[in-house]
Amino acid sequence: MRIAQEMSLMEKLTILTDAAKYDVACTSSGVDRRGNGRSMGNCVAPGLCHAFAADGRCVSLLKILFTNECIFNCAYCQNNCNSDVPRASFTPDEICTLTMEFYRRNYIEGLFLSSGILHSPNYTMELICQTLDRLRNVHQFNGYIHVKAIPGADPALVERAGFLADRMSVNLELPTSDGLRRLAPYKSRNTILKPMRQIQNRITENKNELAVWRKAPRFVPAGQSTQMIIGATPENDFQIMSVAESLYQKFALKRVFYSAFVNVNHDSNLPVLPGGPPLLREHRLYQADWLLRYYQFSVDELLSEDRPDFNIYLDPKCDWALRHLEQFPVEINRASYRTLLRVPGIGYKSAERIVKARRTATLDFSDLKKIGVVLKRALYFITCSGRMMYNTRIEENYICSQLMSDRTQIPKDVRNGGYQQISLFDSGFLEHAVIPQEQIIAGDISAPAQAG
Amino acid sequence: MYVFICQNSLEGIFSGVYDACASRLGHRNIRLVTGEPENYELFSEYIYVTPSEEKTRKVIHTVTSRFGMQFYESICQAAMSGEPKKKGKMDKADAIYETILLALANGDGQKVLLSLGEPCVYRIFELCRAANREACHHLEFLRFGELENGVLFATIHPKDYILPYLAEHFTDRLPMENFMIYDATHQTVVIHAAAKGYMLADAADLDLDKIKRYSENELEYRRLWLAFFDHIAIEARKNPHLQMQLIPKRYWADTPELSRFA
Ligand code: SF4
Repeated sequence: MRIAQEMSLMEKLTILTDAAKYDVACTSSGVDRRGNGRSMGNCVAPGLCHAFAADGRCVSLLKILFTNECIFNCAYCQNNCNSDVPRASFTPDEICTLTMEFYRRNYIEGLFLSSGILHSPNYTMELICQTLDRLRNVHQFNGYIHVKAIPGADPALVERAGFLADRMSVNLELPTSDGLRRLAPYKSRNTILKPMRQIQNRITENKNELAVWRKAPRFVPAGQSTQMIIGATPENDFQIMSVAESLYQKFALKRVFYSAFVNVNHDSNLPVLPGGPPLLREHRLYQADWLLRYYQFSVDELLSEDRPDFNIYLDPKCDWALRHLEQFPVEINRASYRTLLRVPGIGYKSAERIVKARRTATLDFSDLKKIGVVLKRALYFITCSGRMMYNTRIEENYICSQLMSDRTQIPKDVRNGGYQQISLFDSGFLEHAVIPQEQIIAGDISAPAQAG
Repeated sequence: MYVFICQNSLEGIFSGVYDACASRLGHRNIRLVTGEPENYELFSEYIYVTPSEEKTRKVIHTVTSRFGMQFYESICQAAMSGEPKKKGKMDKADAIYETILLALANGDGQKVLLSLGEPCVYRIFELCRAANREACHHLEFLRFGELENGVLFATIHPKDYILPYLAEHFTDRLPMENFMIYDATHQTVVIHAAAKGYMLADAADLDLDKIKRYSENELEYRRLWLAFFDHIAIEARKNPHLQMQLIPKRYWADTPELSRFA
């Protein structure tokens, strides 16, 4: 702490930004709050991205740690007590000033505050609460705040933070408790799920309070989220997505984020990824996550014990459709909304537009194009007034090879990272669908391409 | 064929719609264009529309009272669109004229807006989508700098005329700040006075010297922001291509973090 106080604000900011950047959530979504005419700030439900950093990730919030000092020793984390990095701590006032000054210049939508564990979980959570309290009540900040609940902190402190923040998150860190035991010995499933459950219950109670009294203080109005690190431990996609699904169903989470593992510590317990973080895998998980949240899919439709990982070459929806050709083609002018959602090339917005537009007219392929349907993907799966667009074969291998030639199957940014060097049509590519990871440069985290 | 040449403004286009309807020349014989046509056709008659406040008001009244605000807003957004004329694409004035005719015939403006099969409606949809995107991008990428006198000042170069929309957004967000947003494309400026409200003004009166004099703190916060921006990127995921795709180059010059590379 003594060293920290001699540091300039600039030094602290660079250290505590570096320390925070591996947390992936940066969205400012989930809450609509008009300005109050007096203090600074409002919130728009879809969230705003104010900038895109050099890695292509969206910058929406001032994402910083309160401190990167930490008494824990999570193996994957560069702030763990054994690692040799410069340490710094903000004061609550410094964080308030940065937030207010950045916000009024329209650099950010608000604050994302996380922290290493200084002295004890309670001590740290208390500092976080003080900071938020100052920001809300002294500076009258009315913008977006996302705050972490520190595992192991007193429930009263978690509650206090929840009334000051818009979104809270507790990181699940690793998909299984086994992985957690091995890599984060001071954390346990219990210390993570307990605050998560507490926040969930409190949100529900708060909804009831608000129903009775509209002006009741709001608790975590933008809901809670969490994140898992992908590729540090050997779980397969099926395990990961099943965990995500149960978080959505049993903990009512708003979002689950997936973070491709970056080996910062070179710890011998951790996999070496010579090709860098597993970004395409992360991309597929996000696509599947969309299918769960917006497309009414369940995990066991997409994956199984026997087929536990996503197809690297095809997005999960195309992959699913190819394995269920017996359900296609579907008639655009009659199919239910839910059925439309399952057609590759039809996003949920297009599906909505189709349902609306066909009330007044019979739709044809040219209408679908205008509506935003990606016909080159959808054409194998649909008819308009009983006709298919072309006279094509409905046969798995044929459609599969056609879909693969569609270059958007591998996100453009990944392709441009050198993916095109791999020939997709090398014989037997389906059996050995292994991409050398070093050729995959990126994936977008905060705005994953819609599975559609 | 009768071609009504409208001025490229809301008033110009709405007056054109009014004149075209009032002319009784038969809708099928009428076309509207914004600005001078690129080439004149031999057998067409060209009619110049004089913008009129009164005619505009009448059109607005008919449209809002019969088809609702949402219909009206879509039409306005299309009228304000800055998309350059393109060969093969319907002129926005013509699209607006025809869409209004369709709504008049059909009676239900909402329904008409959903009939994307109609080329004119589709054109309106396209123009609105583009203007919306432009407006959203500016909510995100616009940057204020603090001037010596404490006023927050931003310069933007939007394709479409979206300034009123931005003014509403920032008035709600920063009610206690004095701020100005200068739309250099349309030479218009929003002036917001703390705790009072905003007005739109012609940019001709802008003191271009004053807006270059930043406050003492400004450079310091800008430096802090740049440091944050540079450090938040993960080295192992660097991807300039993706970055470029997500924030098109034309926005770069107006943001401190990217103007360095523009
Ligand atoms: S608790 Fe673990 S993950 Fe969090 S800062 Fe400390 S070492 Fe890192």
